[in-house]
Amino acid sequence: MDVATTLPKLLMIAWLLPLASFAITSLGYSVPQFLGIRVRYSTQVYAAYIAIGAIVLGFVLSCIALFGCWLPAHPLTAASHEGGEHAAAQEHATTSPSLFRYVAQHEAQEAASHAEEHNNEAPPYITGDWYALGIFGKLRLTIGYYIDTLTVTMFAMVTLIASCVHIYAFGYMHDELHDYTDHEVHLADGEHLHRRGRFHRFFQYLSLFSFSMLGICISGNFAMTFVFWELVGICSYFLIGFYIERQSASTAANKAFIVNRIGDFGMLIGLMTIWSTLGTFNFGDMKAADGTVVPGVFSQLHRPENHYRIAPTDSMIAFEGRNQIAEAIRKAGSTEPVAMEATVKAEVARLRAEDGTKWGHLLLFVAGVGIFCGCVGKSAQFPLHVWLPDAMEGPTPVSALVHSATMVAAGVFLVGRSYPLFSAEALLVIAVVGCITLFIAATIAVTQYDIKRVLAYSTVSQLGFMMLALGLGGWVAGLFHLITHAFFKSLLFLCSGSVIHAVHSNDMRHMGGLRKKMPITAYTMLVGCLAIAGVGVPFLAGFSGFHSKDAIVEQALSHWHHNWADGFSWLLFVVPVFSAALTAFYMFRLWYLTFAGEPQDHHRFDHAHESPRSMTGPLVLLAVFAVIAGWGLPSFAPGPFANFSIPNLLEQARPIGTLASKPGVYLSDLFIPSEHIAHAPEMFRPIKLPAGLAAITAAIVGIFLATVIYLWKSVSAAKLAAAMQPLYQLSWHKWWFDELYDFIFVRPVHAISAFIAQVMDRGLIDGIIHTLAWIARGCAMVVSTGGDRWVIDNVVDTFAEKTWNLGLSLRSLQTGRLRQYVMFIVVCTIVLFIVASVWRIAVAGP
Amino acid sequence: MEDPIYWPSFFFLLFSAIACAFAVAVVVTPNVVRMAFYLVLSLAATAGLFFLAGADFVGAMQIMIYVGGTLVLLIFGVMLTSQDRFISMKTSNFELGMATGVGVCLFILLAVAARSIPEWHGLTAQQVAEIPLEPTAAPLGMGLLGARVDSPDRSGYLLIFEIISVHLLVVLVGAAYLARARRSRSGFSLTSDG
Amino acid sequence: MTQLTLASILTQPVGVSHYLIVGAVLFVCGALCMATKRNALGVLMGIELVLNGANLNFIAFGSPYLRKASETMGLDGQLMSLFVIVLAAAEAAVALAIALNFYNSFNTIDVDRADQLQG
Repeated sequence: MDVATTLPKLLMIAWLLPLASFAITSLGYSVPQFLGIRVRYSTQVYAAYIAIGAIVLGFVLSCIALFGCWLPAHPLTAASHEGGEHAAAQEHATTSPSLFRYVAQHEAQEAASHAEEHNNEAPPYITGDWYALGIFGKLRLTIGYYIDTLTVTMFAMVTLIASCVHIYAFGYMHDELHDYTDHEVHLADGEHLHRRGRFHRFFQYLSLFSFSMLGICISGNFAMTFVFWELVGICSYFLIGFYIERQSASTAANKAFIVNRIGDFGMLIGLMTIWSTLGTFNFGDMKAADGTVVPGVFSQLHRPENHYRIAPTDSMIAFEGRNQIAEAIRKAGSTEPVAMEATVKAEVARLRAEDGTKWGHLLLFVAGVGIFCGCVGKSAQFPLHVWLPDAMEGPTPVSALVHSATMVAAGVFLVGRSYPLFSAEALLVIAVVGCITLFIAATIAVTQYDIKRVLAYSTVSQLGFMMLALGLGGWVAGLFHLITHAFFKSLLFLCSGSVIHAVHSNDMRHMGGLRKKMPITAYTMLVGCLAIAGVGVPFLAGFSGFHSKDAIVEQALSHWHHNWADGFSWLLFVVPVFSAALTAFYMFRLWYLTFAGEPQDHHRFDHAHESPRSMTGPLVLLAVFAVIAGWGLPSFAPGPFANFSIPNLLEQARPIGTLASKPGVYLSDLFIPSEHIAHAPEMFRPIKLPAGLAAITAAIVGIFLATVIYLWKSVSAAKLAAAMQPLYQLSWHKWWFDELYDFIFVRPVHAISAFIAQVMDRGLIDGIIHTLAWIARGCAMVVSTGGDRWVIDNVVDTFAEKTWNLGLSLRSLQTGRLRQYVMFIVVCTIVLFIVASVWRIAVAGP
Repeated sequence: MEDPIYWPSFFFLLFSAIACAFAVAVVVTPNVVRMAFYLVLSLAATAGLFFLAGADFVGAMQIMIYVGGTLVLLIFGVMLTSQDRFISMKTSNFELGMATGVGVCLFILLAVAARSIPEWHGLTAQQVAEIPLEPTAAPLGMGLLGARVDSPDRSGYLLIFEIISVHLLVVLVGAAYLARARRSRSGFSLTSDG
Repeated sequence: MTQLTLASILTQPVGVSHYLIVGAVLFVCGALCMATKRNALGVLMGIELVLNGANLNFIAFGSPYLRKASETMGLDGQLMSLFVIVLAAAEAAVALAIALNFYNSFNTIDVDRADQLQG
């Protein structure tokens, strides 16, 4: 079987299964409900079975795709530090079935050997179109696929976590299987809201959500990504607003949706830049119908003649240097098309060579930052991070899915996917935004008491870590953290859901001592906390978070090492390490407050119980993954499992031209170091050792402080808070971001709207309309009283009255007697004759 | 000079006397059975008048359809409804008197009108003798089929014939429907009304 | 103008006017019958008489023997009277059906009792 044909089909089925589930449940449940038929609860259960079946089957297919198709065709190599990547690329090239490579392999080798530092060419991938939505001139909007190692890995991860969440939700959402009383909704009459359960609808949305996320993963071009991007947005809107009757839920859903739109606006700008300068949306090189290869976005920017380094295309340079080109054409004086084209080419070449390579870089920067804007919204980065904590209003399984595998992962995934697009400056923007985000979120999480809110801020913070890693050149590190984080964060959320299910409260001050009541939840959550804190033995093994966080810190240190001279790059190392300590601190604070110590609320404690098996099962499974996700298999493991580890997988997926370091263009000091520099043996002492020690020290310090304060209670938390009152207030009020946005954006908008409503609408437009209406009414009144009532009504009334009277008078003639009628006829005939005769005699003469 | 009796006129007088006499008898008699009998005689005499006027086919039809068909129908009706109280129903004298007055007026009117045109008073015997005797059945049949043999410039009666045949069908179906036996009398709500 | 005496009638052919007078007698008798009979069947018979009177007129106007050949209606009169006979038969059938229905419904045949339509 050919991998190039099998794999897209496999993944397409895995992708479309949740859609089928959504369609079936829509037709089977929502349509009847819309028509007013009540779906029985015993029937609603089947919606869950359908959705779970679809996603589990999708997971099985993804595993087959990964281990059965992809890895046998593209075996992994052990991560070697020098030249390993090059060898791997070479090996992939010989085994790859990809037809779309546009450079012969030996040429690439030659080009690379001339470079001062080797760079990688495109990883093995399979791309193509399934269906063209529309073709507008050059623009092709298609549903296509771009399958590389990253796609396959994401598929396996997303379907695995979605399966766990689906199964977990089957237990968690059981309340919806009977008529539901929402205690958080107070109706006008003081009663709580009673409504029908909507079990099926939840699973319907979950299916659509999974489908959308898988669509982003498999998407073959930016346009399709954007479509599914928005689909993910609308699904999150539905799910966050699942308890739509609650004011807070509907507000949170709106907030998530609106904040995301802001980011998507930037993304649209990025997409426009890409299309107008590169003329395509495809990621990979696509073979056209006539056999010619149409280069995709990535290979246009990373051309072999530049040693796969990022370089603006001719069209970008031509756009930015249009004045120079016009000048050159004027000088050449020829208006022949061929000559003009030659002039343009020569001028572009001159501009490219001139003054470094600054021409065209601005567009590149705009495209990169534009795409990143979308990711800022979706992944809740610094200016737009405010929606994610509010998204806790949705049911907990949704939070788990949103926070790990789908919504927020989509942003990081897209940065990873479009990584070849980012110039050094754009990467710096990403890193700085990530750094700010991770610090702010970590500080806020320290003081919150809502268990889901703490987790939400920790998600924001961890997403900041990913963005920081990606921005500092650590492509593998960032996506590695994305995957490990997906495991332990979904685990943490599902555990918190289990706790909330048991005590019916989100507030940690109502919990405490719960580990005796619900041991499975407590210890799986402990595993999650250890994983997110990044506990492990340096250079040996640890929880999954340890490996990925270690890689990030290493990359940060590497960056500092290479940008020693500038004044601020140390911040990009120190702040993450400090935040890592904060992470460990607040996670263990959460665990101690919830599970350790004495019960705070005995009533709730007495009612607490371990969750059903459908909920604890996924917990245990995810806990296992949270431990081992960072580990790797040795090279002698059988078949496709040889060298299997997530970093190795990602190393194989490394996008074109991202291996080499990227020097800045505008910021000449800037140097985004290659990820492999830190792994070099000679760098062990300056980078790897301090980074590893810093990471583990931060984790241990954080855990130790939390233990001191919340387990041993040697230091009173309240006193500590009082001592650092300003800082505590800053954290407690979430840096006043909501208030700030309210003041800067919401209030002015309200004020302007109110002004426009009052002056423009009510005053001007309403005034005109009212005047017109008044005039029309006056005319109508004149016509009504003068014409209608008087003339027409009088005529009609008189006529009716006369008819009525005539009828009354003629009534007496109608005796109902047949014989009299005959007599009438005869008499009338006689009378007629007589009249006629008299007439004849009188008028015409005898 | 004493003219010899012109026999057609004699028969005319005879038949018209019978027809008129029995017509008056129909009006005068109160008994419905006798009315039917007198009507038969009156109509039969009318058929004789038709023959005298040269309309042999129509006269035959008069006897077959009227005397043979319609009156049988009427007599059936009389028999079906012949309870004693309905056999002879008296009309008030005032009504009778008024009807008679009106009838006489009408008759005078019609008679004066009939006599007022000289051309209608008749031909001479010689003129009548010159007219050839022709059977009318065949021309009537042709006329009903659309071809006029007596006066080719006039149009036939095919369409009217068709309309009348359809009309007859409808009427007979309607009559059968109306007269069908009703088992329950309570179906009609007007019965209680006096 | 010829004298309308018994003798002159017996010695001369009759004309249209004689037929018309006989028709008028039948017509008036029929009308009186309709006007005076309380029995519905009597009314029906009156109608038959009226139709007969009319028929007689048609025949008279169509006959070649009663007035000048140039003025007669020819076969048209006879055809008309044929149609009248047929229609009279149809009318008799329907009227009889109505009468029977009336009798079934009201258990009487007196037309004076059928005055539900009075104003």
